[in-house]
Amino acid sequence: MTVWPLKFRDRPDGTLLFSDDAGGFFLGSGEFLGRYARDTLSPDDLRFLRGNGHTFEREGDPDWTSFAYRWAGRQSKQKELSYLILVPTLRCNLTCGYCQVSRAPEAARGFDWSNETLNAALDFIGDLKGPDIKIEFQGGEPLLRVDLLEQIRAFTRSKFPRSQFVVCTNLQRMGEVEWAFLDQPDTFVSTSLDGNHETHTRQRTGDGLATDTFFGNLAEAVRRLGSGKVSALPTIDVERPPDFEDLVGNFERHGIQSIYLRPINHQGFARRRKSDPNAIARWNALHSGFIDYLIERNHRTGRYVEEYYFGQCLRRFLRSGIDDHVDLRNPNFFASDYIVVDYDGQLYPSDEARMLSRIGRVDLSIGTVADGIDQQNVQMLNGASINNFDADCIHCVYQPFCGTDVVDDLSRDGHIDLIRSETWFCRRHILYSTKS
Amino acid sequence: MIPLRLKVETEAIDPYVVRLRSFEGVAHDMPTLSSFDAVLGNATGESADYSGGEGTLRVFGIDASDINGDVLFVVPRRGTAHRLIRANSRHNTLLVTERCDQLCLMCSQPPKKQHVDMFPFFETAVLLSPENATIGLSGGEPTLFKSELLEFLGRMLAARPDIDFHVLTNAQHFDRDDLARLGELDLNRVLWGVPVYSSDPNVHDGIVAKPGAFDKVREGLSILCQAGAKIELRTVLMKPNAAGLADLARFVTTSLPFVDKWAIMQLENIGYGRQNWDSLFFDSSRGFDTVGKALDLAISRGINAMLYNFPLCTLPPNYRTFAPSTISDWKRTYVSECSGCRLRDDCGGFFEWHPKAHGYARFGLT
Repeated sequence: MTVWPLKFRDRPDGTLLFSDDAGGFFLGSGEFLGRYARDTLSPDDLRFLRGNGHTFEREGDPDWTSFAYRWAGRQSKQKELSYLILVPTLRCNLTCGYCQVSRAPEAARGFDWSNETLNAALDFIGDLKGPDIKIEFQGGEPLLRVDLLEQIRAFTRSKFPRSQFVVCTNLQRMGEVEWAFLDQPDTFVSTSLDGNHETHTRQRTGDGLATDTFFGNLAEAVRRLGSGKVSALPTIDVERPPDFEDLVGNFERHGIQSIYLRPINHQGFARRRKSDPNAIARWNALHSGFIDYLIERNHRTGRYVEEYYFGQCLRRFLRSGIDDHVDLRNPNFFASDYIVVDYDGQLYPSDEARMLSRIGRVDLSIGTVADGIDQQNVQMLNGASINNFDADCIHCVYQPFCGTDVVDDLSRDGHIDLIRSETWFCRRHILYSTKS
Repeated sequence: MIPLRLKVETEAIDPYVVRLRSFEGVAHDMPTLSSFDAVLGNATGESADYSGGEGTLRVFGIDASDINGDVLFVVPRRGTAHRLIRANSRHNTLLVTERCDQLCLMCSQPPKKQHVDMFPFFETAVLLSPENATIGLSGGEPTLFKSELLEFLGRMLAARPDIDFHVLTNAQHFDRDDLARLGELDLNRVLWGVPVYSSDPNVHDGIVAKPGAFDKVREGLSILCQAGAKIELRTVLMKPNAAGLADLARFVTTSLPFVDKWAIMQLENIGYGRQNWDSLFFDSSRGFDTVGKALDLAISRGINAMLYNFPLCTLPPNYRTFAPSTISDWKRTYVSECSGCRLRDDCGGFFEWHPKAHGYARFGLT
């Protein structure tokens, strides 16, 4: 009998967590580890390992086949391009202190798609395979250019009857034209709600009356479109987090049960703020506290609200194929299922890559919407976007459940050949994994 | 109950396959008929007369409109016709053989020794089937005639690209040499229904009354997996395996993760199932814990687990969504307590032959 290689990690309670490359896991003792390391496993050990799919007799036998199947299911598959993030304008009518995306003033010129870019984008969409296409409008504030949005949506609908549209808007200035655009069965809204009135004002609007307007528009969006069609994200300043009860209450009040708690990003103009070497430890403490709070709150109320990203981590522990979140999968192929078209027609493998390039740190563009995807650049990024062979990850008990994020590594450290355990990505996911 | 066998009179001597056609009230030109079609002439209250390639055929005791488009296997010597394909049904099953190498405690169709090769007739029937049909192949054990079965599937899948097959097999007879032949089939259109009753080899072997069956079924499933076949795992829930259902769920998640679905099925009161009812029937309305735990575990691990043949009211409300209506139309019935039930349209009810004292302690909506 052969035992598939096991990885392990100490737990605070003195036991060890073991896992294999196919995502099978169990708790064991130090004594078990000793027997495993010295190759003196007892008949009971072997019976247990066999029953849990950690062994096989010979290549191709049923145990081997099921392990191979589970292993394969843990690897994300390269897919057809079906999801576009479009930035028709970089202009915005807010000046949030942490702006994630780099922005231009509302009155600025030269930060919108030209006619050539629009036409190239339409051609690019026309060349997609379909039949399911999702288009996300980002910005800037995309609703400043409803005219461009209309053209993209009408064309996409005509080519792909099963298309969907997400408008990432600050819901700050809404007129009849804007509402009419949003109020369609195939169109969804994603907005930012930074917890409570005070935090939202401090971080985003700078003006209590403007925040009132936002909350009014959010309520109106839920009323007009239905709560299932409006999602919201809170961006959290680890130094001044909003009150959790306020935050969760505000989301629940608008029918939103999934909250994706995001730290102020290290990219975009947010980087200009001083960065604190202990920020990750403090973020982890805050996030962990939030999850504990949610569990306690769900238990108390009998309703449920989830922290989206933690939910995603937990799902990845339990089953394979949870590869729909692009920041957490392995291998993380770039420009495979989704791509970003910037205001100037440049293509990027992710929104983060766009920001990183915008601040001039490194050029991660992978072509232009007119000329198509530069496969050479994509291959270079993909070569590093796999954790199976990373010198540190191969020893990690959480490897089958984790992912990679080259862009995040680049943005924080400027290079990718890092000691994994010192990266923000790794430290963050070790926490989520341990908590899972 | 919908009759599957009809009384007939015919001029023919040898058995044959025929499709019944009726053009009553059809205004447009008659479609092209094949030599296997028989067209309705006169019909009275008692019988309907058809004429076609094999001469005349008189069918008794059923309204002609109920059998329009049906494909019959006519046995002149016995004066009977089997409705191989009922045009209006999604539940058509062809019985490949009555032989079997297992003898399951609850077998609904106990095996017989004799075997008649029906494949030539089945080929005709499949070719005459309505568009987009799913056709069941069952037994006995169809893979006792594995070569013939695979050839049949190969020809039919090629000849009728619109048709799917659902094959019920104990998967005892696949070996690695079959991989090449399976690979030639369009396996996206064949669902292999394979029973596994327990993760404990002794319990499984005991239920199917065949030593070594558990190891064999694992090998067979493993070969189907490697071939890329779609698999429906089937577990009839009974007293002998109920306590081990959660263990079986764990086994499915680790050792059979490649199944497309896992059907946990309530017992059918027919064949050996009726003889052994008292020692087999497990009242899942009272002992749902074991079923619920198994479902929770399987579903959390991404296994598409379902409950077949469970009346909805016997399940806790939050598990009803996992219980589609699965009892075939021709053998479905409801008991008197079901009248007026608001879930009836979504509920599969009972098998026609289920005892009137249905055995569920918790029954009906409260």
